[in-house]
Amino acid sequence: MSYLVGDTLPPFVIDSVSAEAMKQWAVFLADPNPIHLDVDVVKAKGLGDRVINQGPINVAYMMNMLMAAFPGATIESMDSRFLDNVYGGDKAVASGSITAIDVNRISCSFTLDVEGRGTVNSGTATILI
Amino acid sequence: MSVEAFPPAPDVAGTPLDGTKIFTIKAEENAALCASTGVAPAGDGSAHPIYYYIATQVAMGKTVAGLCETCEFDVEDGPMMGSSGIKFSEPLMVGESYKVTGEILSLVRKQSRKLGVMDVLTYRLRLHKLADETCILETDNVWVLPRKELAA
Repeated sequence: MSYLVGDTLPPFVIDSVSAEAMKQWAVFLADPNPIHLDVDVVKAKGLGDRVINQGPINVAYMMNMLMAAFPGATIESMDSRFLDNVYGGDKAVASGSITAIDVNRISCSFTLDVEGRGTVNSGTATILI
Repeated sequence: MSVEAFPPAPDVAGTPLDGTKIFTIKAEENAALCASTGVAPAGDGSAHPIYYYIATQVAMGKTVAGLCETCEFDVEDGPMMGSSGIKFSEPLMVGESYKVTGEILSLVRKQSRKLGVMDVLTYRLRLHKLADETCILETDNVWVLPRKELAA
């Protein structure tokens, strides 16, 4: 497969962010923060009216997009910035583009966007192909 | 009011975060994690790369609440992720056992228009293979700790 600077990467779409997955991730992360588990806590804290996705899940979505775009390659480095919350039920789309190519290293920029609210995560990565 | 008007952030730079727990990536958990994000597990024995964050958080020397407490911050006040950076030397593998070393790099008090006074915590964690202590990744995480008690 050949790649060119400026190529857009196929998006990775999460049709509806899962509140059930958040319960699983509370166990994976050993972090039972109730803002990810209990909508009443989210409301009480004035943070919205739906449970809030754990930040690392959002990073995983963006990793999924990168891994699907470069089959067989590995992520060498990645930087992610957290700009806003992702809520249960949100439709989220990870997308990106190639910004540089150096022999077997491909640099990318990417975002995670939520329908109706825009970019909630952004970052850069280097992929080893 | 400028940030200089408030007491400085606690001096915690250099606090070790070396862990004593061993973290092993189990095949069934990796499969469940992959499914929860909408993908199938890799067929080559590698784990989902997001385990960089999970393994280092779970096996570092402090809990999330404990790390906040070191910064004199109540976890109930809501730490927020600011950014996360990762550099891999090797992929994470299912069945492999790892341990964590690391330290707090800085805690800097700042003022933001949106959040008011806040402390920006930066810490670095490394994941080592238990078998031969090879370091396979290094991650720098930045958390924002809003200091509601210092609100004007």
